[in-house]
Amino acid sequence: MTMLALTILAPLLAGIAALALRRAPEAIALWGIGTGFLAAMTVLAGAVAGDAAQLVLPGLPQMPLRLVASPLTAVISAMVATVAACVVVYAVGHMRSDPERPRFFGILLLFVAAMQALVLAGDWITVLAAWELIGFSSYLLIGFWHGRDGVPGAATRAFLYTRSADLGLYLGIFVLIGQAGTSEISATLAITGTPALVAGLLLLIGAMGKSAQVPLQDWLQRAMAGPTPVSALLHSATLVAAGAILLIRVAPMLPGGALLVVGLVGGVTAVVTGLIALAERDLKRLLAASTSSQYGLMLLAIGAGVPVAALLHLIAHAAIKSMLFLGAGVFQHDRNSTDMEAVAGAGRARPLVLAGFGIAALALAGIPPLAGFFSKDAVLAAALAAPGAAWLAPLALAGTVLTGAYMARALRVLWQGEAQPVSGKGMGWMSAGMAVLTALAAGLGFAFAPLEHLLEAELPPEGTAMILGLAAALSGLVLGWVIAPARLMGPVLPRAQRGFAVAGGMDGLVLRPALAIAAACERFERHLLAAQLGLVRILSLGTASRTDAADNRLYAATLDLGRLNLRLGDRAETTDTDGIDGLIFGLVDRTIAAGRRLRLLQSGLIHRELALTVMGIAVIAAVLLTVPIIS
Amino acid sequence: MARDLSFLFPELLLASTVVLMLVAEMLRAPRLALIFGLIGLGLSTALTLPLLEADTSVFGGTYRVDLLSGWAKLILLPGTALALLMTRAEIAGQDREGSVYALLCLVTLGALMLAGGGDMMLLVLGVVLTGLGSFAMVAWPRDDAATEAAMKYLVFGAVTGSVMIYGLTFWFGGAGSTLFSELGALDGKPLIALAGLVAVLIGLGYKAALVPFQFWAPDAYDGAPVSVAAFLSVITKVAAIIAFAQVLRDLPVATGWPVVVALIAAVTMTFGYLAALVQSNVVRLLAYSSVAQAGYFMMGIVALGTSPLALPSVIVFGAAYVAMNLGAFAVIMIAGRDLDDFRGFGRARPVIGVAMVVFLLSLTGIPPLFGFVGKVLLFGAATEAGYLWLAVIGILNSVLALAVYLRIVVPMYQAGDGDAGRTEVAPPLLVVLGATALVTVLMGLFAGVFPG
Repeated sequence: MTMLALTILAPLLAGIAALALRRAPEAIALWGIGTGFLAAMTVLAGAVAGDAAQLVLPGLPQMPLRLVASPLTAVISAMVATVAACVVVYAVGHMRSDPERPRFFGILLLFVAAMQALVLAGDWITVLAAWELIGFSSYLLIGFWHGRDGVPGAATRAFLYTRSADLGLYLGIFVLIGQAGTSEISATLAITGTPALVAGLLLLIGAMGKSAQVPLQDWLQRAMAGPTPVSALLHSATLVAAGAILLIRVAPMLPGGALLVVGLVGGVTAVVTGLIALAERDLKRLLAASTSSQYGLMLLAIGAGVPVAALLHLIAHAAIKSMLFLGAGVFQHDRNSTDMEAVAGAGRARPLVLAGFGIAALALAGIPPLAGFFSKDAVLAAALAAPGAAWLAPLALAGTVLTGAYMARALRVLWQGEAQPVSGKGMGWMSAGMAVLTALAAGLGFAFAPLEHLLEAELPPEGTAMILGLAAALSGLVLGWVIAPARLMGPVLPRAQRGFAVAGGMDGLVLRPALAIAAACERFERHLLAAQLGLVRILSLGTASRTDAADNRLYAATLDLGRLNLRLGDRAETTDTDGIDGLIFGLVDRTIAAGRRLRLLQSGLIHRELALTVMGIAVIAAVLLTVPIIS
Repeated sequence: MARDLSFLFPELLLASTVVLMLVAEMLRAPRLALIFGLIGLGLSTALTLPLLEADTSVFGGTYRVDLLSGWAKLILLPGTALALLMTRAEIAGQDREGSVYALLCLVTLGALMLAGGGDMMLLVLGVVLTGLGSFAMVAWPRDDAATEAAMKYLVFGAVTGSVMIYGLTFWFGGAGSTLFSELGALDGKPLIALAGLVAVLIGLGYKAALVPFQFWAPDAYDGAPVSVAAFLSVITKVAAIIAFAQVLRDLPVATGWPVVVALIAAVTMTFGYLAALVQSNVVRLLAYSSVAQAGYFMMGIVALGTSPLALPSVIVFGAAYVAMNLGAFAVIMIAGRDLDDFRGFGRARPVIGVAMVVFLLSLTGIPPLFGFVGKVLLFGAATEAGYLWLAVIGILNSVLALAVYLRIVVPMYQAGDGDAGRTEVAPPLLVVLGATALVTVLMGLFAGVFPG
């Protein structure tokens, strides 16, 4: 129980300390992430031993907050802790010359704490809270270099995209809580029938936003404006995994109809974003598109009814993709860019990094005996055995071919070209982080058998899937290496490069309508005010002109009074020059000021606003009168 | 009689405290008035605790001592004590200082009348009592802005108040009683029910600054001392919301009031945040933000009678709102009224800067802060009552809310001109900041102590 709390509290406290103390952020971060890692491993060991830890806090009335370390959540939590530890170690080297390090490590650790809370959550309120927090810290981290061109826009876009999809999560959770009468996740999964279908589809929308599924994929590629460790942790292994994790956890509740939708969304995403990755001209954006594509494969496996296959691929992908991003970060360091032309040949100068990158790339493509081979097999086998196999299997195979193709392309770019001299500063930390991730990407597959045993899951037979998958992966690799994307994709290329912007893409669906509504609101308000003014003027013209006249008279009278005083003063000047003079002028000034104040009170603003209020009352009364008639 | 009075100890104590404070002010001892006020408020709060479980009404059903009024006292009395400390920090040593303290407590007494009223007469009494003291406090600085603001506040109050009293006579005529508990008799008399309902919406909507009765709020808050604005934005508003709950829970749903209240809620929160987006004066920005928050409150009112979450959501969000809004105003007292005053503030004063970020994020509804808990309950209540569209508008508006509050947060961490927040912070303000920040941060995790 203490360990369970420590999994979240250690990074949380370290994050706060880094932000508050603003010194030695690296040491604080390493302590926090290390302690969190040890705690997560202890929790996992406990779960393996059959001792599931649980923590209940008071929380809302009758809805306590729960943290639960079931085998499933403990495994994911250990995965998050491991990748986070590797990325933080790498970041110590990568960010060493950035003056804003405390802010970076502070927010990164806060993110890790929120992510662990999301993974370990045992009730929906905690899920909501953690979901919001990871979104918010992601916004802060993407916008870390907020002074640079385009960065604030990218952060805002990511936040708005995922926020609009969050609407689905909120509504889905309200439906679940309303139906089950409790916020405990395990209890709500017993729901069946239409509510389960509706809730499942609503949750899918939330998951699509976070896991960057078509048509909400665009924000992820733009999020690459953030620092590399952020891309490696948030936008490959954790934040974007939240959607897939959510669906894996609710999978037992989803009825067949919802499963098919999940599978199709995933399959379409796997192919579409795979094509985008193949057409991409920037290394980090290629990896981002590939992330969407791989999460598409995971959703496909969930849709096929085998969430454990999705979990295996999630774990393998976390290690692989983090390594790929970290490697790309090194090349970016060397060439000051991630443009494909700029990084051409960058791998030659760093053979070790390229070797790690290559192992991870081959693992992602699904070459045995690397981790991705086993997990992708499981996904393919699930697709082949699913009720909707006719739809899902071709999409899964196409996704696999594309994976091989774009990874081969990335490798080829890094290999072919001129080597340039590089500096070795900070490489110690960076190498340490990458070495562990490469080892995991290579060897994690051998841990999958005990994992399946732990989760008491049975995977479909893999015979055909293994042969098909291997053939697809190899053909993809060969195609990607030998044939340039322009020839491979033909007429699809320019559209893929624009990110398949259907009808202006999500910008057209979300951003522009929102702006248009805002503009229309403003226009409407202006018209309303103008109409109001006209109405009030007509209604109160008589009274207004009369008050105006009275007001003017009063003003003139005060001025006259002032002049009178002045004249008195003139006369008095002859007898007394200094003292009385000042007194009188002061009096004049004060009377004029009083007149001004009177005018201010009669500015007419109150009338206008009261008229608006009366109009509002009329609307309220009208609605009240019509409601009983309608209902 | 004696039994009835025993349920009114907190109110009686507060009333006697106000008298003592006025005596102290006559003796020209404002500090004594402050001490009287703080002790009186503290004792009243303590006296409320044993009455929390009570569910009864006194004096022939005109005054309710129930869950709602009990929790209202637990929220409003400590809130007033914090507002007293803020006022002390702002106007210490100035003329007529003690009278402001007495007025604050008097307005709070009116707020308790609103929160516990079970009768139309008491509703009117509460509206008038809160109104008179508030006008005087807004006019306290005696400069142009304050005079104009108080004038506007008074004119609005006079118009809406008289319309409310006029409309309530219809209810009295229709139901044959001034008690809210007899309002069920209006079933089947739609026009009479409507007249009174419109009247109540106007009278209390003005107090709670709901659209379209919100026009006075930005001017009044801006003209008044910041601490008085803080007080008005929390105490009278929460009292009016709870009065809404007391009145409307007895009114037959067939009159269609939930639909109208839902519409007002939707328009209020949207208008409030849209208007707040264009403000450059932070007090006005928070004024419009508190208009929007009133809209969120009304989501809980809509669900009265149809969702068991309705009352808890109003109580929890009420407590959260009092803490975070008072805290935000306290920071404005340190930083300044203009948005430019906040440039670099977070760097110059890191601790207070973090506190401000906490208040603003809580106002947005970012977890795990107190405001988030309240909003989740409100959304849940509205959904359960069948107003899913209202919950959707509420969630969409919290995106807008983030944009509004980030307008303060972002300049706080930009490079400043260096003189931001150089002045010494008065100790009472530090107490207020500490208390509100603690409540905002911790109560989010322990909201289970509230009634469910």
